[in-house]
Amino acid sequence: MNASKKWLALLLIVCLSVLAACSSNNSSSGGSSASSPSAGSQPSSGESGEAYELNVAFPIFGAVPSNMPEVEKAISDIAKEKIGATVKLTPISIGAWSQQSNLMLTSNEKVDLIYVSGTSFTGMVSKGQLLALDDLLGEHGPDIVATFDPEFLKATAINGKTYAVPSNKEMAVDYGLSILKRYIDKYKIDPTSIKTLDDLDGLFKTIKDGESDLPAILVPQSAGISFLASHRWFDPLGDSIGVLPDFGGGLTVANLYESSEYAAFVKKMREWYQAGYIMKDSATNKDNGNALILAGKGIARLSNLKPGYERQTSLEYQEPATVISLTQAYATTSSVASVNWGIPYSAKNPEKSMRFLNLMYGDTEIINLFDWGIEGKDYVKKSENIIAYPEGVDATTVAYNLNLGWMFGNQLKSYIFEGEDPDLWKKMAEYNANAVRSPALGFSFDASPVKTEYAAVTNVINQYALPLETGSVDPDKILPEFIAKLKSSGIEKIIAEKQKQLDEWKRQNG
Amino acid sequence: MNHNREARAWQWGGHTVLLIYSAACILPFLLLFASSFTDDKVIMQSGYSFFPEKFSLDAYRYLWNESTDILRSYGITILITVAGTAFSLAMTSMLGYPISRRDLPYRHPLAFYVFFTMLFNGGLVPTYFVYTQVFDLKNTLAALLIPGLLLNGFNVLLMRTFFMTTIPPAILESAKIDGAGEIRIFYKIVLPLSLPILATIGLFQGIAYWNDWFNGLIYITNPKLFSLQNILNRIMLDIQFLSTDPALSAQASGSMDLPTASFRMAIVVIGVVPILLAYPFFQKYFVKGIAIGAVKG
Amino acid sequence: MENRKAGKRMRLLKTYAPLYLLTIPGLLYLLINNYLPMLGLVIAFKDVNFSKGILGSDWIGFKNFEYLFKTSDAYVITRNTILYNSAFIVLNLIVAVGVAILLNEIRSKLMARFYQSVVLLPYLISMVIVSYLGYAVLSMDTGFLNKTVLPLFGMDEIAWYNEPKYWPYILTFIHTWKGAGFLCVVYLAAIIGIDQEYYEAATLDGASKRQQIRSITLPLIAPVITMMTLLAIGRIFYSDFGLFYQVPMDSGSLFNATNVIDTYVYRGLMQLGDIGMSSAAGMYQSLVGFVLVLLSNYVVRKFNRENALF
Repeated sequence: MNASKKWLALLLIVCLSVLAACSSNNSSSGGSSASSPSAGSQPSSGESGEAYELNVAFPIFGAVPSNMPEVEKAISDIAKEKIGATVKLTPISIGAWSQQSNLMLTSNEKVDLIYVSGTSFTGMVSKGQLLALDDLLGEHGPDIVATFDPEFLKATAINGKTYAVPSNKEMAVDYGLSILKRYIDKYKIDPTSIKTLDDLDGLFKTIKDGESDLPAILVPQSAGISFLASHRWFDPLGDSIGVLPDFGGGLTVANLYESSEYAAFVKKMREWYQAGYIMKDSATNKDNGNALILAGKGIARLSNLKPGYERQTSLEYQEPATVISLTQAYATTSSVASVNWGIPYSAKNPEKSMRFLNLMYGDTEIINLFDWGIEGKDYVKKSENIIAYPEGVDATTVAYNLNLGWMFGNQLKSYIFEGEDPDLWKKMAEYNANAVRSPALGFSFDASPVKTEYAAVTNVINQYALPLETGSVDPDKILPEFIAKLKSSGIEKIIAEKQKQLDEWKRQNG
Repeated sequence: MNHNREARAWQWGGHTVLLIYSAACILPFLLLFASSFTDDKVIMQSGYSFFPEKFSLDAYRYLWNESTDILRSYGITILITVAGTAFSLAMTSMLGYPISRRDLPYRHPLAFYVFFTMLFNGGLVPTYFVYTQVFDLKNTLAALLIPGLLLNGFNVLLMRTFFMTTIPPAILESAKIDGAGEIRIFYKIVLPLSLPILATIGLFQGIAYWNDWFNGLIYITNPKLFSLQNILNRIMLDIQFLSTDPALSAQASGSMDLPTASFRMAIVVIGVVPILLAYPFFQKYFVKGIAIGAVKG
Repeated sequence: MENRKAGKRMRLLKTYAPLYLLTIPGLLYLLINNYLPMLGLVIAFKDVNFSKGILGSDWIGFKNFEYLFKTSDAYVITRNTILYNSAFIVLNLIVAVGVAILLNEIRSKLMARFYQSVVLLPYLISMVIVSYLGYAVLSMDTGFLNKTVLPLFGMDEIAWYNEPKYWPYILTFIHTWKGAGFLCVVYLAAIIGIDQEYYEAATLDGASKRQQIRSITLPLIAPVITMMTLLAIGRIFYSDFGLFYQVPMDSGSLFNATNVIDTYVYRGLMQLGDIGMSSAAGMYQSLVGFVLVLLSNYVVRKFNRENALF
């Protein structure tokens, strides 16, 4: 007894001393970050002397390209000249991204500029991980401000403060079908005659009747994604837990899963599933939709569309594709703020971070280095803004193959690949300007006041949504069960909270 | 006579049961192996099969294209596995032996100190904080070696139990009377008597280091330091990610090349085969009667 | 009196100093790797806000724990976790000890080595891969069972990933298949360590194999069995995430049979990413396991002090 007490005492002492060390460590780094904005605003730390190294962290979808160091160097050279900072790129594999980025921010590692996904944005703000950017934007971000319709830039504001800058790409989305063109041709279907989801019935039936060998027609867009994710008539208000049922102007939050539209949708999916239109393994699929189509598991998928989508899909299918839009283009907070850049709270020199971010929206050279790599090596210019692979290089052998134009700032200033519509960015700008805007565009929901219910409801949705929305289960039986379970898990409390925050947002934004 | 028949019955019964059990262990593995040589489209159309309808080396050809990365990661994995297993065996036995000694004062609290670590852990964030902020291990080889793996309470207790049950206290007594010091006894008598448990724990640690991807996932961002499993698991994690963020994966569907089914299998094969090759080395020590022989000799 | 006692203590210390010295690296490592981060458990009681720092964040009592209990799923996930783990403990014990004993009896050296290598194979494959293998067998469209086996018996296709009733068996089978080899090697090492003289003497006395196993092998590996079982009990509230998440392919229809505490926490926090809530879950799991282990260890001590862990 005596012995163990002694051990405990010793342990306690050690722990306490470490705790003290930790806390002092913590407070010192917290202190330095708090004081850094003022330090940064002093011009003395500016262009003269040693260049500040900015650590830019972002996810990548595959291996790190072999040419990355060269691109990093080229970007650094420009940045050094223009803003007196060099750049260190920290690409992180997307599967590891959420964990690593979270840990980096949590332990105050040096990160100066960080990719912020639309889904984690509000969480990061409520955890205090991001710096408010309004002052910095006004002072050092003229190109950013000039790039955006002010209404779009407000999509990343919470309580009137902007915490991130969205990438400038397609800001809206319309939903539709992308299908192998040879089937459309073979059955002489007029794509313009198809306007709604219901119109697809006839199309699918014709093809199914004519092609008895075809295992299915429709495959999921990607692993673990339901068909609802590619066919929306509502503003999900972030997470689809409490939605705006239409874009008519009302600001009443409703339970999507209780709506008659949702019931009709899952019923339609069930019909399709039973008619053999939908791939049977859709709910458990672990492959990319393109790969499934290439392997002949199906010939079409519901897709999130944007200008230029037909060409992109044709490349992915490795044969011509037809794209049929089934909805208008909608701009919501989720579509505008899906890919963003933020400055971590612990950033040591936020002014430099912002000035570099500004280059990502204004400096064509930097944008194209990010998007396409080194000129002459990774691409060659065919004309002013049209590029192609150099001789002897193709998509599989190019040394810089990130293809993440939609991530690095202003995509509308990036070069257009040969074969693509030369007016693509013009069309994109029109598309963005003409999209139907949700009355709640700019509102972001903070789930932290109801996180107990949120965890429970998320689980229930995980349980029911995918099987229902892929037609794998009978909605007559399962949908009422789903709704009842959502209620017992507290979805109404979340919706009420969302309504409250939305009303408050409306009041602030007039 | 009776005994002979009984012994034969045991042999027959034993072989029958073990053969069935082995089949259950081997068949899935063969399936995996065969799939890595199957054409991808065939796998997606008709599923995995023991006999490839269409033989293909694509997966391995792809791996070969990445061979500089893969070879470097092999090197790192081997280095970490060998060093980690050696350090770990030393530390585990050094801690396990004293607390196995029935005469050691405070051995129960010590055992509890070890055991407690198996039930409670501080979670990822504090651990990460300790290793990156207190000790600057991020993006170093030490980050693959030290956190979480070097010593675990389970192995210590396993070792302790082995020492307690198989080392006769009398041997220690007589060695002491001969004038040997504690440390000498440990190295000259206890360890040689414990080859089976050392081999077992060495094997477990070896596998743990070989298969570890978590440390790499957490502490390593520099691709030059990726271990083999790191590369392999990132690919798997990428797939899992897709279902967690539909908006982004719709966005990225053009930029993302999901590894094909045969490729996934091929990377498992190249990850597992070296362990199978190294296994006989550990097995050498799984020999009955080694303990008794050592004492008598 | 005091002096004598102190003197004795000094002598003791001198005798055992080398042994204590041996423990230092290990104890130090556990301190850094395990005990230091435990301070982080305070996070479970905080509303973490990084602009205030972890220690500066607001205390919120047990609010982070609420989501584990205030849900209609609380019963299901707790029941599943405990029932599965109990089944695993019992089955693993029987299979692993049984196979280890058989392995030990095999006379052919070559075959013994073959079996020993093979039983460990499943342990080497990651759960993700196991899930692919499972999919190869169970898939609706291309699965081995639906395409090859069931038609042989003239049975209809079964949507395996939509039918929860099969999954308790499937998961238990996979767990045993994957984990028993590892435990088997542990037990085998213990059996190999048994002094052969016991068996020789028993054989001379005319004891049958069965009797030898019952009265020599099992009692002598009892400490190892006890230890492994206590450890498993200590982790009864944890579950193999890969087994319950990857292998059922995250199929919602199966949740009643496959949702356990770990998967519930993972899915619940996927969007929130709240480290306070995740450490609360970890703490809850550890605490329950801790109490159970103390209790079982107490019971073991009652019967046989030597076998107790501490």
